[in-house]
Order: sequence, then C-alpha cells, then structure tokens
Amino acid sequence: MSTLRWPRYFILPVGLIVLWQLWGMTLPARSRAPVPLDVLASAVDLIASGRLPMALLQSLGRVGLGFLVAGSIALVLGLLMGFFRPVERNLDPIIESFRPVAPIALLPLAILWLGTGTPAAVFIVAYAAFFPMIVNTIAGVKGVERRLVQAAQTLGVPQLTILRTVVLPAALPSIFIGVRLAMGLAWMSIIAAELAVGSKGGGGGSGGVGEMMFVFYAYYIELDSIVVCMIAVGLVALAIDHGLRWLQRWLMPWAEQYR
Amino acid sequence: MAQAADSGAPPVRQWRQSTVFLYLRSLLALAIVWGLVALWVGNHVILPQPTSVAYELFRLIVSGEMLVHAAVSLWRLALSYALAALIGIPLGLLMGLWPWASDLLDPVVEILRPISGIAWIPLALFIFGIGNELPIFIITYVALFPFLLNTMAGVRTTDRTLIRAARTMGVDQRTIIRHVMIPSALPQILTGARIAGGAAWMSLVAAELIGAPSGLGFAIEWYRQLLMTPKVIAVIVVISLLGYLTDRLLRWLQRRLTPWSTGIGAAG
Repeated sequence: MSTLRWPRYFILPVGLIVLWQLWGMTLPARSRAPVPLDVLASAVDLIASGRLPMALLQSLGRVGLGFLVAGSIALVLGLLMGFFRPVERNLDPIIESFRPVAPIALLPLAILWLGTGTPAAVFIVAYAAFFPMIVNTIAGVKGVERRLVQAAQTLGVPQLTILRTVVLPAALPSIFIGVRLAMGLAWMSIIAAELAVGSKGGGGGSGGVGEMMFVFYAYYIELDSIVVCMIAVGLVALAIDHGLRWLQRWLMPWAEQYR
Repeated sequence: MAQAADSGAPPVRQWRQSTVFLYLRSLLALAIVWGLVALWVGNHVILPQPTSVAYELFRLIVSGEMLVHAAVSLWRLALSYALAALIGIPLGLLMGLWPWASDLLDPVVEILRPISGIAWIPLALFIFGIGNELPIFIITYVALFPFLLNTMAGVRTTDRTLIRAARTMGVDQRTIIRHVMIPSALPQILTGARIAGGAAWMSLVAAELIGAPSGLGFAIEWYRQLLMTPKVIAVIVVISLLGYLTDRLLRWLQRRLTPWSTGIGAAG
C-alpha cells in the first residue's frame, strides 16, 4: 500500500498545472493571463538577468536589518522584564497596548516620518518582528527553573551575571520560537511594506521584491512575472523557516522537546 | 485583579497594586513622553499632540465617519472569515479522516501555504480590480490555512482509545465522526479560529490600504494623503482596538465552547 502512495502526491498539483496550461491555450493570443509555460519562460529571464535575485537580496537585507534592530531590543527588554518583576509591571501595559497594532497600519506614518525608501520598510519589519520576540523571551525567562537561579544566588553570583549565564541559555529554546515567528512575520510585512510603498509612494523606486511585483502590475502588466515573484516569495519563506529549524537543532540539540 | 496577598491592606494600597492602576500609570507616562516629543518636534503634521488625536478620534466617532469605515471593514472581515471556515473546516475534516484525501490535497496546501496572502495582492488586483472582492479574497485565503491545518491536526490526534471504545460498543463510523472525533478536535479547531482571526486582521489592513475604495485600511491612507495625521493615528487606534476585541471575543468563545481545553494561552 505505502509503496503506491507517492504517485498520489503528484496527481493534483500536476493536474492543476496541466489544466491551467490548457485553459491558457484557449485564450486569445493577446490575453495577459499568466500561463505555466510563459511563467517558466519569464522565471528563466528574471533569474538570468539577475533582477529577481537582486530584488530578493534587497528585501532580505531589509528583513535582516529590521530583525536585528527588533531582536536586540526585544532580547534585552524581554530578559529584564522576565527577570525583574517591577520592570515587567511598568512596561507590560505599554507593550500590550501596542501589540494589537497591525504593522501594516503603521505604514502611512512610516512613510510620513521616514519617506518611501529603505528606512520605512525596515521600520515596519522591526515593528512586526518585535512582538513575537519579546513575548516569547519573557515567557522563556519565566519558564526557567527557579532552583537554577536560586542555586546561583546562593553561590553569590551577581544578578546580571545570573541573567547572562543561567537565565539566557535556559530561555533560549523559547526565544528561538519567537525568532521563527518573528522571521515569518517580518518576511510577510516586508512584502506588504514594499508593495504599499510602491503603490502609495507615487513613483520613487524603493526596490525590493514587493515593489517589483507592484511595478509589474501597474506599469508593465506582466502577470507571468508577478507569478514568478509570488513563487519566489513562497520559496524564500520556506527557506527561512527551514534554515531556522536547522539552526535551532544545531544550536540547541537538547531542546527537541520544546518544539 | 487585585493581588490576593494584599487583600487585608487598606483600599488605597490595594488600588495602587491593581492591574488597572498600573496600566493607567504606564499609559499616562507614555502620553506625557509623547506630548513632550511632539512639543520638541513642533510639527503638527509629523507628530500631533496626543490630545489632538483624542479630539479627532472623538469627532470621527461622533460624526459617524468612523462607524462607516469600521462597518465596511468588519463586514468584509466577517464574510471572508465565514467563507474560510466553511471551506477550511470541511476540507480539514476530510484530510484528517481519509488518508487518500490528504495525500491528494496536502501537496497543494503545502505549495500554496508559504505564499503569503499579501503576495497575492498584485495578481488579485488585476483579477478583481479595486473593490470589495480583493480584500475578501485575500482575507479568505489567509484565514483558510489555520482553519484547515488545525482541523486536520485535531482530527488526527483524537485519542485512539476513544474510537476503539466506541467501535467496540457497535457505534457506526458516521456517529463516531460526529460524536467522538469532531468534539475531540474542537479545541484545536478553535485555536485555528483564533490564529485565523489575527492573520485576517493583519491582511485586512494591507488589502484595504492598497486595493479598496473604503474601509479602515483605506481611511488611514486617505487621511495621510490629506496630511491629517491626527486622524491617521485615530484610525490606527480604532483598528488596534477592534483587533484586540476580536481576539478577546474568540478567546471567550474558546473558553465557552471548550472549557476543558487548557491550551488557551499559547504565546505568539
């Protein structure tokens, strides 16, 4: 039975693509609708000309930068908030009030403050990545076994050293869950930010794969290329998630049970 | 929630320990800092005073303008959310119950899932144009996957012993699905509903910002173009409040429908 299962996996995807191609062939020749073979051709073109890789790199660079900013703030604040009760009691209301603000809703403000270039996009990414990071860091720190901390305190270790050498490593698996959630959100918001900057910025190319898609929509009406970009966006999302999973296993082989 | 340890303390002390007090105090500090920064910036368009945002918020609500924007957005959200549930839950049941269905459908789901709803916006703009259909399509797409995947996982993790027990007592397959498997999958389906709710809000704003002639997402962009920053911030506040309330509602529903479930406070 199980040896015969694998062909089933291909039935629907292959069938749908074939149907799509057949449907495309019935359309008049001047139709702009994307068709699989044309999508393939424009994928080859976009990759060979280096435009797609460059746009992806630019978007990834922004995600990396925004993530770095958000991650370092969230890590420090999260450790302090999880470890010191008064810090948490005073900062938690502020964090909780900003958490429901959808990152994309801030885009008009970001454009107003930072213009339509990279800083606005980085701001949105950082905002999106911040909350999963800090929530999971706090949860991780609170989940650290109290006896470990107490043992270190009994030995007279200073508080900040405890934070660095006991709490941080023990909270790492939970922090990493935050990293994975944050990266997924960050990649999603960069596309949204670049798209919206492209559509609302009134020209002034800001680059990135999101803006590229908007340009294909608005100026060239090359739907095949849009589909190529969509597939590329999906593949990068997959690659980010798998890369982080792999990193997690490599960094924390003991943390398998937390996943 | 006053702390139990302080229940014997005088009322003023108790009040000062309460969550509400701490919340108000932190937010007041934030508003003061905001006000000072706004004074320093000195430009009403770039950063207005918190008081003028509050005033504009009040005016938008009283004039009914906010209600119109919010009603349009909430109507779109409700419609697409219901659509996603209507498609996602049955498909998830199908895929969880019959291996052949999941063998067939799973590859398609796994191919589409990494492509975020937002990445669909340019293509959807071309297909649907600017209007109601675009946000409805995007939100349905985004909310579909949490419903589907959580239903599937919930059905699959039904305790085998329960199924065997029912079978031993001669219960037929249909009844087992209805009275054993679906109830046992319900907590996870509701978790999916909450994840779908959060994702739906986020993409609602994005979809309306780019491709709708009305709604809250459109309103922020509209007021930005008019350089009415206090109104922009007022709309952002309303979006966040509504997003928060939807999440509360879904949590309440989860507690109400599945009081036995413990996995309510998942982080994220």
